[in-house]
Amino acid sequence: MEILQDPLFLSRLQFAVTAIFHILWPLTTVGVSLLLVVFESLWLKTDDVDYYRHARFWGKLFLLNFSVGVISGLPMEFEFGTNWSRFAMMAGEFFGNILGFEGAMAFMLEAGFLGIMLFGWQRVPPAIHLLASCMVALGASLSAFWILVANSWMQTPAGVHLENNRIVVDSYFEAIFNKDTPWGVLHMWFACLATSLFVVGGLSAWYMSRNRHTDFFLKSFKIALVGVVFVVPVQISLGHGSGLEVFANQPAKGAAIEAHWTTNPEGQGARWNLLAWPNKAEQKNDWAISVPNGLSLLATGDHSGQVHGLASFAKADQPPVMPLIFYSFRVMVAIGVAFLALTLWTSVAWFKGQLMPMSIGKNRWLLRAWIASIPLGYVATECGWIVREVGRQPWVIYGILRTKDAASALPVSVVSVSLAAFIIIYSIIFILFLRFAARIIKKGPDLTLLPPA
Amino acid sequence: MENEIHTLLANIWFFIIGLMLFLYVILDGFDLGVGILCLLSKNNKHRAMMMTSLESIWDANETWLVLLGGALFGAFPLVFAIALQTLYIPIMVMLFALIFRGVAFEFRHHNRYTSFWNWGFGISSLVASLAQGIAFGSLIGGLGITEDNLQGNVWGWFTPFSLLVALGVVTGYTLLGATYLMIKTEGAVQRIIIDHSYAAAILEIAILSAVVIWASRISPHFAARWTDKITGSYLDLFLVLAIVAFIMLMRALRKGFELRAFFWSVIISMAAFTAVTIGYYPFMVPASIALTDAASSSKTLIFMLSGIGFLIPVMLIYSGYQYLVFRGKVQMNGRAE
Repeated sequence: MEILQDPLFLSRLQFAVTAIFHILWPLTTVGVSLLLVVFESLWLKTDDVDYYRHARFWGKLFLLNFSVGVISGLPMEFEFGTNWSRFAMMAGEFFGNILGFEGAMAFMLEAGFLGIMLFGWQRVPPAIHLLASCMVALGASLSAFWILVANSWMQTPAGVHLENNRIVVDSYFEAIFNKDTPWGVLHMWFACLATSLFVVGGLSAWYMSRNRHTDFFLKSFKIALVGVVFVVPVQISLGHGSGLEVFANQPAKGAAIEAHWTTNPEGQGARWNLLAWPNKAEQKNDWAISVPNGLSLLATGDHSGQVHGLASFAKADQPPVMPLIFYSFRVMVAIGVAFLALTLWTSVAWFKGQLMPMSIGKNRWLLRAWIASIPLGYVATECGWIVREVGRQPWVIYGILRTKDAASALPVSVVSVSLAAFIIIYSIIFILFLRFAARIIKKGPDLTLLPPA
Repeated sequence: MENEIHTLLANIWFFIIGLMLFLYVILDGFDLGVGILCLLSKNNKHRAMMMTSLESIWDANETWLVLLGGALFGAFPLVFAIALQTLYIPIMVMLFALIFRGVAFEFRHHNRYTSFWNWGFGISSLVASLAQGIAFGSLIGGLGITEDNLQGNVWGWFTPFSLLVALGVVTGYTLLGATYLMIKTEGAVQRIIIDHSYAAAILEIAILSAVVIWASRISPHFAARWTDKITGSYLDLFLVLAIVAFIMLMRALRKGFELRAFFWSVIISMAAFTAVTIGYYPFMVPASIALTDAASSSKTLIFMLSGIGFLIPVMLIYSGYQYLVFRGKVQMNGRAE
């Protein structure tokens, strides 16, 4: 394949592989670290030792997950220099600074208390331990904040100007709180919460469906349920808000998400494509199932609002691989809807009094649905990131730097070797992780564990 | 005036990044050194003990590298970009080794093949140390780039000088690791560790001397620093400090002073590190990139200083607290939970 002889393409592929792999782990690090704080606080407050055992049991999975997150995050930072040196040179002044903040404010905090949180139960008093757990959770959420600030700035750059082909910051406030920041940060943070809640709730459902420790896991299941009742509706509205923001500030991305080619004439609403097959070569959809005025309503709130079509952008400014963007978006939305349905279904069951230790096992399909939801948060998040990053192309910093002008000048040989090594090593780690996590899960919690005296 | 402020800020950041690199070299240095010592151990139990001694702290130690990367990226984007691109191969090798090493810590608990992970841990620690040494050696060797051509080729790091520096780094890390293990172990393990400490210390001093002599031959800039009255006397001072530290270390090893042995090996590393820094100042990449040219604008340097600079003491305090919580000899009662 000719494309594999192109170092730029290989660097992009390598970044995609490392980013797609890496994002899997922080999702649950951010969310589960908060749940661990909840369990630990409930234990200290109610004196119910089950909550202590919950903290210890989920802590084991957390540690396994955390270590893969740490080691897969390290290459991301270095790749900006190794593979994207022209981007690093141009944008380091802002972008590097933000990564530095992430390291100093978030990672150090997380790492500085992680040892105490995981191995220090016998060594520090409960209050200090709770403080350590809180600091780890805070560090994880702060790192999500800073990395999304950096990425949002690449989507809607603000507060800077160019000088000798280098970014110079005029206003840090404007650059950090650029137009995409609130949406990017919150949508990702809630994605972490939702994914983690469905993982913990789904695994709890798995135990209950096998009648293992039903009393014990009903507690974590109910906490997860309370969580999703709040998180899922908020996440869906954040998703809608992010969409409006994209149409306002990155119209080409918005049009690509919806496979919308021609700008609708005044007074006439734009159709919304439920399903379609966008064809970039011919600048139209091969086929489409669409709803009249739907897109105008979704993107502008008015049934005849104007939405810029892709064809109004030069071909060189249109995002590539449009079917990928189009369908990733739809998968993400479908999962959001499925989460909402599951939340409603379970809430009704609770309301009817069906979530009792004696009766929950009879609700087979409900438990199965929760088990099936375990991987869905991950899938939705990956799809969301594909939409966000591929949709921004051909730009790496939207409107300022094109991706093709951002890469290092590297020989094909070294990039293809490093790419192959990443693929092989990450696949092995992924398989081993699943096996080891399965082992922890099969073994189950230790219900004889007593809190430190 | 504006220029002077910029020069001052660039120098402050040069110092901060030097400090971060130094902290990384010491903290992850002993961490990696313990890994290298695993390879020398003939006993699986000892190896497990060595790894356990790092379990609660390795992540915090490695985070200094993340912080260093971010700070360099923000304060000196030009150096970050050029150095990493030119050092593509050693950096990737280091990353893969650190990846393997990181998962080995956790995966060995879940797998029957404990000795595979223990050995893998040792080998990846050695590889990561070598890669870091090569990267550092070729950085102070000038990365094979010139003033007119900032595009080094991807094999520019492969020089005899950088290989020698890499050996120096490996022995330095081994010494730090051995003296750290002296604090964390007792009895038979500790006696073996003390023997390794002697060997590592003697090798390190020999290699460091070779590096100094070689550097003043290949780098006119470094040689000029040595003959200059003021900088020359500073360099002499650190040379003397290194020798004193070496003698004190030998004494501490003989008498079994655990904390002092670690302290004096840190001083040896500190003296060597400072001498290199003085020798190459004011260049970031010797003879091609001066630190003021590579620095970000004053505004960014001030903003970073307020965000990161003031957090350094805070980070040191809570990292120190974590060490304090886990002080004392390693306990091997199953998994330390």
